[in-house]
Amino acid sequence: MDSDFKNGCDSVRGSILSKVLKGLGLAVLNVIVIWSALFLISHQSYVILALLLLGALIVNIVFILPGGYPFRYLLPATFFMFLLVVYPIVYTVYISLTNYGTGNILSKEQVIAQFEEKFVIDRDAESYAFEAYINDQGELAFLFTRPDGELLLGHKSTIDSVSLDDPKLEFLDDYILLEKRDLVRMTNELSAIGFDCGDGKQLRMRNVNSFAIYERQYVYEPNTDELVDLQTGIVYKPSNGYFQAADGTRLTPGFRTVIGLSNFRKLFTNRQITGPFARVFLWTVQWALLSVATTFAVGLFLAILLNDPYLRFRKAYRSLLILPYAIPAFISALIWRGLFNTEVGVINQILQATINSSVPWLQDPFWAKIALVILNLWLGFPYMMIICLGALQSIGSEMYEAAVVDGASSWQQFRYITIPLLMVSVAPLLVASFSFNFNNFSVIYLLTRGRPPIPGAQTPAGYTDILISYTYRLAFESGRGVDYGLASAVTLIIFLITGTITFFNFRFTGALEDVNKNV
Amino acid sequence: MRRFSLHLWVVMLTLVIAAPVFASVPGELLIWADGVRAPILADIAIDFVVEYGIPVTVQEMPFGEIRDNLGVVAPTGEGPDIIIGAHDWLGQLVTDGLIEEIDIEDESLYVESALNVFTWEGGRYGLPYAIESIGLFFNKDLIGEEPPVSFEELIEVGNKLMAEGKYGLVMPQPDPYHTFPFFSALGGYVFGEDENGVLNPLDVGLANEGSVKGLELFERLLDDGIMARATTYDTMMSLFQNGEAAFMITGPWAFEDVRSAGVNYGFTRIPSIEGSFGRPFVGAQGFMVSAFSENKMLANIFLNEFVGTEETMLALFERDPRPTAFLPAAEVINEDPDMLGVMLAASEGVPMPAIPAMNAVWTAWGDAIELIINQQSTPRKALEDAVEMIVQTIEASM
Repeated sequence: MDSDFKNGCDSVRGSILSKVLKGLGLAVLNVIVIWSALFLISHQSYVILALLLLGALIVNIVFILPGGYPFRYLLPATFFMFLLVVYPIVYTVYISLTNYGTGNILSKEQVIAQFEEKFVIDRDAESYAFEAYINDQGELAFLFTRPDGELLLGHKSTIDSVSLDDPKLEFLDDYILLEKRDLVRMTNELSAIGFDCGDGKQLRMRNVNSFAIYERQYVYEPNTDELVDLQTGIVYKPSNGYFQAADGTRLTPGFRTVIGLSNFRKLFTNRQITGPFARVFLWTVQWALLSVATTFAVGLFLAILLNDPYLRFRKAYRSLLILPYAIPAFISALIWRGLFNTEVGVINQILQATINSSVPWLQDPFWAKIALVILNLWLGFPYMMIICLGALQSIGSEMYEAAVVDGASSWQQFRYITIPLLMVSVAPLLVASFSFNFNNFSVIYLLTRGRPPIPGAQTPAGYTDILISYTYRLAFESGRGVDYGLASAVTLIIFLITGTITFFNFRFTGALEDVNKNV
Repeated sequence: MRRFSLHLWVVMLTLVIAAPVFASVPGELLIWADGVRAPILADIAIDFVVEYGIPVTVQEMPFGEIRDNLGVVAPTGEGPDIIIGAHDWLGQLVTDGLIEEIDIEDESLYVESALNVFTWEGGRYGLPYAIESIGLFFNKDLIGEEPPVSFEELIEVGNKLMAEGKYGLVMPQPDPYHTFPFFSALGGYVFGEDENGVLNPLDVGLANEGSVKGLELFERLLDDGIMARATTYDTMMSLFQNGEAAFMITGPWAFEDVRSAGVNYGFTRIPSIEGSFGRPFVGAQGFMVSAFSENKMLANIFLNEFVGTEETMLALFERDPRPTAFLPAAEVINEDPDMLGVMLAASEGVPMPAIPAMNAVWTAWGDAIELIINQQSTPRKALEDAVEMIVQTIEASM
C-alpha cells in the first residue's frame, strides 16, 4: 500500500509515459461520453444526459488540474454513493408523490399514443384478399379482392375499383408480385399502410392473407388536452391519472402522474394503515433489539472461547462456526422453516421423543417470534463472532496482566477491561446491525410471512409482521393490484424512523468513546 | 491503482451502453419464456428463421417474474414481443396497457373455455396452450382402483386408514387456491358477477352459507385426524410419496414427483359435498403479445403459424404435461389417463378471477384458513372477518 502510494506520487511528478497514458485515457473516456451523449439525445433522456456530462466534467477537472489529485481517490466512492444511495432516495421521494401502481404505469404520452393507434374492427368484418406488388424503386401496389368478387387497385394511398383487363393495371408490368415469404418480412411496413375510405375508415392489413376496413376510435386534441371517442363523440379529460368522461367513466390504461401528498394523507387517515401501526412498530423494535442482543451474546461468547490460546483445534472450530454465515440466508431460512414444521419437523420430533411434548412453532404468536429469533441467531452469530474475534485481538495482554496483579477475578477482567474496550470498536457495528434487522424483510418473509394471523383483525397485519413486511403487504396486496406510490410513502416514513433511531444510537455510542479516553 | 477511477468510468459506461442487448427490434422477434418451455420455443425459432428469414431470440426467465418484468421493461421500449403467461395476469396487464389484443386466425382449433379465460372486455389477449386444474390424487395400493366420489365416502375410507396409523387426506395448508373447492362446492365464490358477467369486486362470497358449510367440513376433517394438519406443500408431498396418506389434493405439476416415487396412483376430480362437486379454479396458460412490440403482426404470424400447430403443442406437452387447449393435439394428449383426470377435474371448474382486486384477497383469505387450521377461530367467524377486511381494502383503493 505504502509503496503503491509512493509510486503514485513519483509518477505525478513527471514520467512522460504516465502523462501520455493519462491523456489517452481521458481522450477515450471523452469520446465514449460524447458518443453516449448523442445516444441519450436521440432517446430524449435529458436528465441522465445532464448527469453524464456533469460526471465527465468532474472527471476531467480532477485529472487535469494538479490540485485535483486527492479527489481521484474520493471520486469512485462519491460516484457510488450518488448511484446507490442518493439517487434511490430521490427517486423514492418522487414515486411517493405519484400514483404509480397497477393501471397507472405508463406515461401520459404513451397512453395517448396507444389510444390514437387504436383501430376497431367488427369481429365479422369482411376480409379483402390481396396481392402485393413492388417495383425497383420499392414502391408498392395492391390488388384487393372483396368477398363479392369486386377487384380494387390500391396504389399511392388511393384505391379504385378496376377490372382484370383494365388499362389502369398496365403499369404493374414493371412490378413483381411479392411471395408470402417477402410479405412476412415486410409486415412492419405493410401494416403501417392505410387506404382512406372516407368517414374515418381505413383499409388496413389484418393479417398476412387479408386486409379489412378499420375505424380509428380516438383522436387526441393537444390544444384542449382532450381525448374524443370518434364513435360516440364522448369527450374524455385527464383527471387523477385517467382520461375521464363527464359521467365519471374512466378509460384504461391510466397514466402515471404526480398527485402530491395524497399517498401520505392516506397513510395518516386510513384506519387500515394506522390501526396496526403501533403494534407492528413495537414488535419491530423488539425484533431488532432481540436480534442484536442474541447474536451479539452468542457471538461474543464463542469469540472468547476461540480466543483462548489453550483451546485445541481452534482453526477447525472457527471454520465450522463460520459456516452458517457462508450458506446463503435464503437457503438456511427455508431449511429452518422445514425444521420448525409442527407435524413433521425435526425439532418437534426430537422434543416429542425426549420430553414428550411439541411446540406449535409457526402457529402460536409467541413461539413464532421465538422461532424467528432462533433463525436470526443462527444466521447472525458468525458475523458477531468474527468482529468480536478481531476486536479481542486488539486488546493488549498487558491490561490483563496488570489486572491479575491487582487481584481482579475473571469476571472483573471481562466486565471492566474486555467489555469497555470491545465496545469501542464493536458498538457502531451493533448500531448498524440494529438498523439492518429493523428492516430485515427476508428473514420474516421466508420464515413466517408475518404470520400467524390475528383472530378478528381488521387489517391484514400478522403477529410477526415488521414495518417493512407490512409495507410489502400494503404495496403488493392492495385492492387495485400493486401500489408503488403508497409503498414509497411508507418506505420514506420507515426511513425517517430508522434514521432517527440510528442518529440517537450513534450519539449514544459517541459517549462510549469517552470511556476509551478515560482508560 | 492510479487510474483506478478512470478505468472504472470506462467499464461503467461500457456496461451502461452494452446493457440493452435484448429489446424488441423491428424485424426481429424476442420471446420471454420460462426454463421449461424456452428450449421448445428456441427449436421453433429456428424453423421460423428458415421459413421467413426473421431472427427469433428466446430469453429465459423464471415464470413468476415475467409479469413484473414486463411492467418495468416494456414501457422503456426494451421489452419482448411475445411472453408466455397465465390467464390470471390478464387483468393487471390489460389495465396497465402492457398487452395487445391478438388475432387468432382459427378459433375453432382451441378449447372454448381456454379462449374465454383469455378474454378481457370482449378482446382476446392470449393464445391458450394448456389448461390446468387441481384434483384428487389417490394411492391405488391403499384404497383400490375406485376413487371416492363424495367426501362422505372419503371419510369412510379415511377412518379405516386412521386405524392403520395413516392419514386419509393431505393438502397444502393454508392455501386458498387448494382450499377453494371446499368453498365452491356449496355455492361459495370469490367475486360475484353482475348480469353481464362482469365481476363485482365488492361482492365477496367467501363467507356465505355454502362457504361456511364447506369449511366446517374442512375443520371436521382436521379435527377427526383424517386430514393432516398444517402441512406445507413439501410435507404433503412426502406423506403421499411414502404411502402415509391415501389422498392428496393438488394439480398436474405434481405428476412428476408422484411418478418418480413409484406410487401406484390415480387422478380424478375433487369429491362432492352433499352431492355437489367441489369446483376448483381452472387456469390456462398461453402466449401474449406486448403492447410495446415493434412487430405485432409478425408476432401474430409466429403464434398462429408456428405455435398453434400440432407438433409444437405435442412438444410442449412432452416437456411439461398439462392438458392441451389445442383441439387437434387433444386426441393424442388427452388419451393419457392423467390428462383425462385433469380434464374431468377442470370440467367442474370456475376460472380464477383475473381482476387486479384479486391481489387484496389472497392474504386475508389465507389467514382465515390458517386461523381455522390453528383452531383459533370458527370457520364462520374467521371467514366473516376476512371478507370484511377484503372488502375494506378494496373499497379503500377505489
